[in-house]
Amino acid sequence: MNRLVTAQRLAPVLIAWGIPASASHQFEIEAKQDGAKVIEAEHMLLALTTSSDGDAAKLMHEAGLDHERMASALKEERRRTLAFAGMKAPEKKLVAATELESPLSFGTSAKAAFKRALIGARHERHRAHPLRSTDLLGGILEAEMGTVPRALAIAGIDRVALAIRARGFK
Amino acid sequence: MPTAPSPLDGPADGLAAASALRAIADELEDAEVERAMRAGWSWSQVAEALGVTRQAVHKKHLRRLLLAQIALRRRNYE
Repeated sequence: MNRLVTAQRLAPVLIAWGIPASASHQFEIEAKQDGAKVIEAEHMLLALTTSSDGDAAKLMHEAGLDHERMASALKEERRRTLAFAGMKAPEKKLVAATELESPLSFGTSAKAAFKRALIGARHERHRAHPLRSTDLLGGILEAEMGTVPRALAIAGIDRVALAIRARGFK
Repeated sequence: MPTAPSPLDGPADGLAAASALRAIADELEDAEVERAMRAGWSWSQVAEALGVTRQAVHKKHLRRLLLAQIALRRRNYE
């Protein structure tokens, strides 16, 4: 995947994969709301929870994971992480700078999630089958380390079980 | 197969903290370089304060400062 690929440029691909346009646009909104410079896996996961027409959202809701719970787990994850170093999150105005890139590009964790989503997806074996939002969810959930697994552990969500359900979604 | 280590606790907390602090340091640098340049600092002064070369600051921040429409001093381009 190109290093500078942006959500906007990727949108048609995501739609072809079966991921609603509303969700791909939402990746960027979530990242911006978080004050992030790039879209990371946690922003995609947040976006997938609010995609009402998506199978991924359905699976997450069944597991008790909605936008509010994920957002609050991410907040706690950040608090805990910074507390480890004896710090609190700085006030927004202290670190407010002019935004450089619009549209945003994808960060390392997001690109890794896309790569994992493609590996083993039906799409890889049969191009006629679109890559589904549940494959992307699987790709996001298969990260063993990082912000997403940390936040899910805090929220008490069984990440591995949900990943398996996402991959096996028919 | 060995069990995967927990994404919480132990080294996971420390590594996450290192990554988060790096991101905060970057955000703080962006904000403060912008503030300094708005206040009329030169590239050299900013570079010296950060402990890096003038070229490094220029490369990293010029585009954003132009976007922010900060009136850079002529010699700032030198």
